[in-house]
Amino acid sequence: MSLRHKAMLATVCLSGSIAAAQAQHCHSALRGHITEGNRREPLAYAAVFVREAGKSTLSDESGYFEIIDLCEDSSYTVEVSHVECAHLVQIVRIRENATFDFNLDHDAVLKEVIIVEKALAPAPAQAQATLSQADLEAARGTNLAETLRKLPGVSVLSTGSTIGKPVIQGLHSNRIALVNNNVVLESQQWGREHAPEIDPFSAGKITVIKGAAGVRYGPGAMGGAVIIEQEPFRKEDGWGGWISTGVFSNGRGAVLSGSADWRKPGSSLVARAQGTLKKSGNLRSPDYFLHNTGLQEYNVSAAASWRKNRWEFESGLSSFNMQTGILRSAHVGNLTDLQLAIKSDTPLNNNNLFTYTIGRPYQEAGHLTSRNKAVLRINDTWKLTGQYVFQYNQRREYDVVRSSGSAGTRPQLSFQLWTNTLDAAIEHQPVRHWQGGAGFQAVQQTNFVGRGGLIPDYQSLGGSVWIMERRRRYPQPWEFELGARYDYRYTAATSTGSLNNIDTLVHFGNASGTAGVIYHFNRYCSATFNSGLAWRPPHVNELFARGVHHGAGTFEQGNPALISEKAWNNNLSFQLNSDALNINLSVYSNHIRDFIYLDPQNTFVLTVRGAFPAYFYKQANAVLNGLDGSAAIRLGKSLYLEPGFSIIRGKRTTDAPGGDWLPLMPADRYQYAIRWTRSGSDKRESYIRIGGTTVMQQTRIPAAGLLKPAPAAYTLVNLDGTLQLKAGHKPMELGLTVSNLLNTAYRDYMNFFRFYADEPGMNISLRLKLII
Amino acid sequence: MKIKVSSFASIAFILSGLFMLGGCEKHDHTEQENITTIKLLVTGPGFDQTFTWNDSDGPGGNDPVIDEITLPASTSGLQCAVLVSDESQSPAVDYTAEISAENTAHLFTWTVSGGASLTITGADQDSSGKPFGQITNWATGQTSTGFLTVKLYHEPTDKNNSANPGGEVDFDIAFPVKIQ
Repeated sequence: MSLRHKAMLATVCLSGSIAAAQAQHCHSALRGHITEGNRREPLAYAAVFVREAGKSTLSDESGYFEIIDLCEDSSYTVEVSHVECAHLVQIVRIRENATFDFNLDHDAVLKEVIIVEKALAPAPAQAQATLSQADLEAARGTNLAETLRKLPGVSVLSTGSTIGKPVIQGLHSNRIALVNNNVVLESQQWGREHAPEIDPFSAGKITVIKGAAGVRYGPGAMGGAVIIEQEPFRKEDGWGGWISTGVFSNGRGAVLSGSADWRKPGSSLVARAQGTLKKSGNLRSPDYFLHNTGLQEYNVSAAASWRKNRWEFESGLSSFNMQTGILRSAHVGNLTDLQLAIKSDTPLNNNNLFTYTIGRPYQEAGHLTSRNKAVLRINDTWKLTGQYVFQYNQRREYDVVRSSGSAGTRPQLSFQLWTNTLDAAIEHQPVRHWQGGAGFQAVQQTNFVGRGGLIPDYQSLGGSVWIMERRRRYPQPWEFELGARYDYRYTAATSTGSLNNIDTLVHFGNASGTAGVIYHFNRYCSATFNSGLAWRPPHVNELFARGVHHGAGTFEQGNPALISEKAWNNNLSFQLNSDALNINLSVYSNHIRDFIYLDPQNTFVLTVRGAFPAYFYKQANAVLNGLDGSAAIRLGKSLYLEPGFSIIRGKRTTDAPGGDWLPLMPADRYQYAIRWTRSGSDKRESYIRIGGTTVMQQTRIPAAGLLKPAPAAYTLVNLDGTLQLKAGHKPMELGLTVSNLLNTAYRDYMNFFRFYADEPGMNISLRLKLII
Repeated sequence: MKIKVSSFASIAFILSGLFMLGGCEKHDHTEQENITTIKLLVTGPGFDQTFTWNDSDGPGGNDPVIDEITLPASTSGLQCAVLVSDESQSPAVDYTAEISAENTAHLFTWTVSGGASLTITGADQDSSGKPFGQITNWATGQTSTGFLTVKLYHEPTDKNNSANPGGEVDFDIAFPVKIQ
């Protein structure tokens, strides 16, 4: 980084602290832990009252509490009380990030306050972006990838308008991990047209970790991770929850979702049931309906948590089910058909009409997760965690078939995947300023290819050990993180049917590591540098695939000699969070050795459907460099400007003189919006926002060329808003989102179906959320 | 509480076991419909031969084995019937009857190129009186060589436009032709 840039950052940080000073530093929190008796068991539902501020709260089921918006370096009188215990009054002085441990006793003898300097739940020392609550609500009803697409550095790889996968800083599919409720999703993510089986409605918070996160989340997280957390359980006794409904103009769709919590009075037992129903019909691009783009989805989940002495338990069961149509015009029989379809500006074989009926081609995917977790709090510092997760994934793909006979009701491809995961970890609160943990993981996976010999059956066994530690000593501005992990994967693959004859054992083992440093300029402003080594074993698909990829009009062949991909990711990011200014910037360089890619062979493979160009899986070194960021700048009392951008350059550096651009790298993207907010009496914020997204034309394409030139640059205008209301005493939220407000006809480079049809046009969605 | 945990865990294990069993039963190793072999049965006065296009290991792997169509010069009255099958399965699956039963949804097209002196005309119609092309009449001219391209279209939108009938291509194969 140049001196000038450093000066710029320093200026930004300074202005941040000025803004903070104007706000009198009253954004500190009083955080602490309340324990009971000599055994120091966590005390739930103790009342905490701060006299000077007139604020109060209850400790949660683990004895933790938080009171926000207190002034730093001020003294407060804190009263802690519980029906079964003695009252405690203590004067405390709030310091940045300090937490207070209060120990209550059944008699009034013991009055002890320990001020322990410890960081709370440290976020990874890595570039990350969290979806704001407003953005999460505004995207309700869209799929996971679509929900995340506003975040800087995140884009969407789509196959038509119904199937989308998140792309983090240019990497996707098996190179990123999707972590839902602390469970890494295990499904057929290798496929470009296989969307993640996650219901965004179940999410209370979504965070994207950019860069190598393999130490935390395993070999799947070479390029980053999407962390989906559910809302915390209800803390009060009895019932509570929400119902959310939405309607969409494009596709004439509707979605209904609800969640209910119940806490057994006077008990630690709390349970939740959640469900989502969704249906929509053919989408419409500005000039025509996109035939066969309907979808339906139903998801249910249940979870429970309870506590007994030092033990905490949580169990959850969830089921995701979807059926999605695939644009009829995208189905082509051979290369001549494909060339005709590509040449045509409008989709061929397209029925320009609206229907909810889903015909061939379509996909069905189901995912079942059962998670069971137990935590043993050994003492205030140490805890032991064990988790067992079972996942079952089923995917069926129905192609357009010649026969309407018995084959006409059967899928052409069907996969089933069973995954058993066992995790154990020991974690600790700061000990000599170091906080972290170590653990191991065992994975067993069975894949059955019921129909269609695209990939072989396989059985995988794997094991991992990891350690991760973080050091922060207040008030030193430095924070360090170190982590290491070793993974081993063993896979036995056998052929299905008569087309492939594979019976092979492959095994891969590799170490990964991460080193990060955070410098806190002040409470509002910090810079993070992270350097991580991560790896990924080649997927069975890349090793053994052999067949015609009809959507792409290519013959693809795996290579059993592939070795693991290794990534060295360096990421420097800068965060500033104040009322007046919010900045999130990230610059990265990701060097990948033995990057696996599909290489065009300049030869044709003769098949019964004619000749198809051959693509073989190959390996080469690649470098991905990029810059992305977003900001919220306060212009007036309640007016914000929200710019954002994502830029990435991906090149293959070997086997290509001077380097060759990687295919399917997101084009440069610029976002800008103006948001007007109004705070209600109870701090719930209403807002309206109008903004635009400009995506440039991708001019950096592989030398081998593209089947169809990259689409032109486009700009979309979007509008969204939320109105906070009251239905009686209950909070109610009314939302409006208009995407593609000007009904612009456009195609996107990252959408595989750009060959065939335009993207959908304007969509008006109305949402209503009732909190009960 | 311990009982609760263990019962929950056992439920999870039982569930996983159930799914495993279900999966094993469903696992049938059946391939999708896969045309590997097209046979042209050419008959006429004093002529009876079968020309085969065969790719029994499917796309990739070994190249397809393609017979050369050798026909006597200046001969008319030859008739050709197409047979379509999957010989990667055992026993082989013959799709010809099924295609004929659904003749309105199928169209065979015939294109001679490269200078071969061969004239092909349709000898059949589908049940709605439109071209079908499974049976064709062949006539040869002088000595020459070239190629014959045969395509099967599925759900064609315009059966009278044999150059571009719409729908999807089920197979698209070419034979070398020698008229001697």
